[in-house]
Amino acid sequence: MKKQSITKATNPGVRFLINYSVPIIFTILIAFAIPLSGLSGEYLVRELMTRLARNSFIILALLIPVMAGMGMNFSIVLGAMAGEIGLIFITDWQIVGMPGILLAMLISTPLAILLGYFGGMVLNRAKGKEMVTGFMLAFLMNGIYQLVVLYGMGNIIPISNSSILLPREYGIRNAISLLEVRQVLDRLVPLKIGGILIPVASFLVIATLCVFIIWFKKTKLGQEIRSVGQDNDVARVLGINVGKTRILSITISTVLACYGQIIFLQNIGTMNTYNSHEQVGVFAIAALLVGGASVSKATIPNVFIGVILFHTMFLVSPRAGKALIGQAQLGEYFRVFVSYGVIAFSLALYAWRKRVEKENERRKAMALKRVLLQSTNTAGGNKF
Amino acid sequence: MKEKIKNIIENVGLPRVIIFFFLVLLFILAPVVGIRLDASINDVIVRFGMNGILVLSLVPMVKSGCGLNFGLQLGIIAGLLGAVTSIELEVTGFAGFFTAIGIAILVAVVLGFLYGTLLNKIKGDEMVVATYVGFSSVSFMCIMWLILPFKSPNMIWPFGGTGLRTTISNQGYWFHVLTDFLQIKIGNHIAFPTGTILFFALLVFLVWIFFRTKTGTAIVAVGSNPEYAKSCGVNVDKIRIISVMLSTIIAAIGIIVYQESFGFVQLYMAPLYMAFPAIAALLLGGASVGKASIINVIIGVFLFQGILTMTPSVINNIIKSDMSESIRIVVSNGMIVYALTRTIRVRS
Amino acid sequence: MVALIIIGIFLYTIGKGHKVLIDNKDIFIGEIAYSADTTYNVWVDNQEVGLLEKGERKVARVAGASHKIVVEEIKEKVLTGDKYERKFKLKTNEGATINILAMINNKNEWIDKTN
Repeated sequence: MKKQSITKATNPGVRFLINYSVPIIFTILIAFAIPLSGLSGEYLVRELMTRLARNSFIILALLIPVMAGMGMNFSIVLGAMAGEIGLIFITDWQIVGMPGILLAMLISTPLAILLGYFGGMVLNRAKGKEMVTGFMLAFLMNGIYQLVVLYGMGNIIPISNSSILLPREYGIRNAISLLEVRQVLDRLVPLKIGGILIPVASFLVIATLCVFIIWFKKTKLGQEIRSVGQDNDVARVLGINVGKTRILSITISTVLACYGQIIFLQNIGTMNTYNSHEQVGVFAIAALLVGGASVSKATIPNVFIGVILFHTMFLVSPRAGKALIGQAQLGEYFRVFVSYGVIAFSLALYAWRKRVEKENERRKAMALKRVLLQSTNTAGGNKF
Repeated sequence: MKEKIKNIIENVGLPRVIIFFFLVLLFILAPVVGIRLDASINDVIVRFGMNGILVLSLVPMVKSGCGLNFGLQLGIIAGLLGAVTSIELEVTGFAGFFTAIGIAILVAVVLGFLYGTLLNKIKGDEMVVATYVGFSSVSFMCIMWLILPFKSPNMIWPFGGTGLRTTISNQGYWFHVLTDFLQIKIGNHIAFPTGTILFFALLVFLVWIFFRTKTGTAIVAVGSNPEYAKSCGVNVDKIRIISVMLSTIIAAIGIIVYQESFGFVQLYMAPLYMAFPAIAALLLGGASVGKASIINVIIGVFLFQGILTMTPSVINNIIKSDMSESIRIVVSNGMIVYALTRTIRVRS
Repeated sequence: MVALIIIGIFLYTIGKGHKVLIDNKDIFIGEIAYSADTTYNVWVDNQEVGLLEKGERKVARVAGASHKIVVEEIKEKVLTGDKYERKFKLKTNEGATINILAMINNKNEWIDKTN
């Protein structure tokens, strides 16, 4: 049973390799791909800076459900949808600049809270299957989002700005220009180093979120969430309302995801009304896993390392694919394959190790039982 | 009487009751809004034949305790490989059809074995890993479709491109070989696909017999009580792998039957989400994460395809807008979420 | 809760975009005709709208309630040094059309607000 001995390995070097196998494999892959792609270091740094600023927030939203033991929260998509609805409204009302972004965040918050609460309730009913359920829930809500945005808006929900409506006069267009709020957060504190625009304000916002998360972990609620994550039964014995805590952690995550999506979209400047949120869940989770997180443990460094590694791969794949086999299309498929593959691999690895650990616990318990039985036998020995 | 109705609703599940009555409503409305009832029923039957086998493929894995097969795409990929190889070899008619199936089964055996081995290592978490294994394999095959050495001019990109096209027509090869087989035509609007239905019935029969064999009963035993099965001397792991292989093989056959009726072989990202409608149909028919039978398949496919066929035509005529896609998403994913969240209630 | 609504209304007001049309066109006010015969350089809220030739109309997009328009006269490609400045307020749903000639001559009809 070679595999069992690997998990039992006490050599810290081996443990490190296994725990962080995903980011290590990734780094090796990228090390090969970067020179193949022919992209310059400056280009990569510039692009990564942009991507760090725009993607980190929503990935940070994933951390709290992991703390609560609910695994990778695929239903952050619900938060993203709430954010997009907020943006649709401010575009309709033509609110520009920073006030536009803030107002979008303000009006989408109640929706995000509602969706998060709903999501949390559903996930509570699927204990043990949170990730699959969250995943399917995201698809379900996508259908409902379509019904609302593609059919309800302009009909039951009044939209006055006809430039965002489809020609048939109800339903929002496929792509909405967010020109008026484009990069307002990024450019809020303008700083240029060597011709590269550094989105200071965005980084400040992200830093604030990090500080908030660190502080939150130490609060009473944060501690409760962590004990729920460690062991539901122990938490219950301690008097913690497990169900409510889980719902709360999903709600917070959903609201953060809502803001994260707004930050993401303000950087891009256009909103693909029906597609922007689809890949959000997959890419965010893949990035987090690539950064070394697991289903039961995710830290802030995982987020940033993940963004850097994952997005570098994203950037170099098409050109590397073209260099290798002559088709850039290959690189694109490779990107998708890697995103899904990383998740499959990490989840499988985690599930397998969980099982092996359970198996080890069981053996230990059995061995202990045997020892106890033996000792009672020798003690009460010669009855006959 | 009220108690009895309440009991039935609780057992069957409220969503299913709602969907059933919704479907009946659609059938009643159809002639009112000017849709031919006989043509609609024929459509439903044709789609039933198209999709039935894919849903049937889910049953062995549910019975063995592996849960809902979110990795259905692996079986579909086997079927796709069979289909394109058969076209590449220029085999037509029934011979082409069965060549496709033959090759697909070979691939499915290998894929199923690997898939089953993986699932054995992660007992308890099969569904979520399977989903992403399914997705990654579809994406991986996207790369493969581009570089595999297929030459048939019907399948590659024109003007000297390399790699297979996204959609490949099987007309002239084995398009409609089953559907046209012994087809019963009544008037202009009814063309009963006897061949497809017969084939479906054949597979149902084979599956039914299989579960009465020693291996079949072992699968059911492993699914309902693995510890007891182990104590009876059953190799739980081996049985699970067999059930996964069986599911993958049936799925491979299923996608070929689907393409036979549809007329096209769809490669690249098309199979990505194909597991979900199949799973939703099964659940709609009364199955759950731990329990599934052939009756579930038949009822489920009929209901699901009924909704898919009737909703667009009826609702579009009433509201003058095409909500069918969104409704389909809500219905199919809603069923799955419902089934995933229902397990706790049943246990308590 | 109430505070949030107030903040929301505040953001709405200061962020609401308005379209302001600026005309360098002839205009009749009362019995007098003011003719546009030269070029002007226009700023709205410290944002340069640009040069308006005779008869031209340009659009300025502004946000918020209080605004300032500054107009510089240019004769034969040289600044004459004449500068004019007016302030105006816009309600949330209002847009405006400003006629430079009326504005320069201090007429009340210099700005026309539309819903």
